[in-house]
Amino acid sequence: MDNLLWIHSKRSGKIGIFLVALLAATWVLVPFLWAIINSFKTLEATFSAGSIIPFLNFQPTLDSWKEVLDDPQSINSLISSALVAAGTTVLVLILGTPAAYSLARFEFPWQSKDIALWFLSQRVMPPVVVLVPFYILMVQLRLIDTWSGLILLYSTFNLAFCVVIMRDIFRDVSKEVEEAARIEGANLWQIFWMIALPLSLDGLIVTGIIVFAFSWNEALFSSALTSQHASTLPAYILASRSTRGVNFNVAAVNTIIAIAPPVIMSFFVQRYLARGLSFGAVKG
Amino acid sequence: MEPANKAQRNSERLFKYAMLGPAVLWVIAFTFFPIFSALNYSFSNYVLGRGITSYVGFKNYLLALGDAGFWHSLLITLVYVGIAVPLEVCIGFVFAWIITVGLPGKGLFRSILTAPLFTMEVAIGYLGVTLFTSEGGLVSALLNLVHIQIPWMSTGEGGLAAAILLDVWQWTPFVFLMALAALGSIPDEIYDAAMLEASSHWQVLRHVALPLAWPVLTVAILLRLIEGLKSFGLPFALTSGGPGTSTQLFSIMNYLVTIQFFDFGRGSAMGILYLVMVSVIITVFFQQMRKRID
Repeated sequence: MDNLLWIHSKRSGKIGIFLVALLAATWVLVPFLWAIINSFKTLEATFSAGSIIPFLNFQPTLDSWKEVLDDPQSINSLISSALVAAGTTVLVLILGTPAAYSLARFEFPWQSKDIALWFLSQRVMPPVVVLVPFYILMVQLRLIDTWSGLILLYSTFNLAFCVVIMRDIFRDVSKEVEEAARIEGANLWQIFWMIALPLSLDGLIVTGIIVFAFSWNEALFSSALTSQHASTLPAYILASRSTRGVNFNVAAVNTIIAIAPPVIMSFFVQRYLARGLSFGAVKG
Repeated sequence: MEPANKAQRNSERLFKYAMLGPAVLWVIAFTFFPIFSALNYSFSNYVLGRGITSYVGFKNYLLALGDAGFWHSLLITLVYVGIAVPLEVCIGFVFAWIITVGLPGKGLFRSILTAPLFTMEVAIGYLGVTLFTSEGGLVSALLNLVHIQIPWMSTGEGGLAAAILLDVWQWTPFVFLMALAALGSIPDEIYDAAMLEASSHWQVLRHVALPLAWPVLTVAILLRLIEGLKSFGLPFALTSGGPGTSTQLFSIMNYLVTIQFFDFGRGSAMGILYLVMVSVIITVFFQQMRKRID
């Protein structure tokens, strides 16, 4: 598509666009490359920013990777992050998907759009506003510094997102298919479980990945509600930044470990991303 | 679906409420409770270990309103969002335009340009230290080549500017994706006709693409505004709120008051005030947006 637009561009226009694209790609990639290069340097080598070509400018080493991966606290926070994000994703999908289906298919005394909007309005609230109540609640429930405490919280923050976006996705599933299954004698649960859900699998996966990424990246509550045991990567990074300062090579390794999982996952779901992240407002 | 008889109608009613119920109850329990609870704490004198010892009326609110740190954090937050969001919208839209125009290799560019989207904010702020610090930082080293020295990490203004740049790096892809979807839904014939008449890309972009994509862009602005007003991890990891308190956005300031000083009453009062302010900003923006689009 859009071939005419490209073909009719003047040569200067084409060159201009290529330059902008090159600039854009550089702008995006440089921080990633900087982290990768620094992660293979010794601490001393990181002091000279100019040496960026391995073997020629500096001797690459795995020392900083070993240092981080041998640190039990960093491994512990990596495990915490994975478990909390996975647990949140599962809980959110279990709670949110049926609600989304219900809103997409059935009539309610209120407009289903209004309920969806109500779910959405939950996201406007800055999390720090409810930091005190959640802190005290977690103390009372003895859930301070536990995985379950964080899963409980993150599910609350992400449930609204799941309901709104999955409702939008279920509305695309053709009603004729469901009607046909009904005539065949399937009950409502079977229609949901065996027809609607498999047909919405793409959307479900994207929703799951976005929820996973949101939980994986959350810093405020993890820092406030955990200390040692359940501390996730963002909390670990913030804590080590303030106690140990910033060593470029260690910072680089931590950065790569912290950002890789969600970024890699996002490459597989390009198709629905715009739609998912805009709560269904944009069909992309 | 038309229910055939009463039994079926009943089972359908049971089904739809059973499916919806848990999520609604969950959200009510875990959002109404904390907000009311925060309101309660904001009017009380909370002592750690003993709980609420007495109610103090509006004392916490008056303390918050008389606190220079509170006002400063609001100002810093507005500056942060006020600069970062417009930049993200402009750059994101231009990125989307070059892909839409039919740049060869657009699939690859698309993947590259969306990569920062899911990066951890804290990690980006942390990496930012190694980019902006004056000893061995990449940005500082590059600027040194052209004899420009910017005190990124040693001044409040520099720290805020660095945080804004990183925020733009991370969130421009969000606007980019939405603008891409908007531009992609405009029929090719419109572009083609415009291209034949206009003399440059810039004119097509300015007079055809931008107006048609504007409704989607306003949604993007709204969502960025909502998220930007919550900013915490990136600026906190980059500057720790310093030097001094100069880069304490509201979330950072409120977090420190609450968690480091355990001043729950004042922390809650500040939170409630902020919630009111944010709600007003978002509502006003939302209504303006609706008016424009209608």
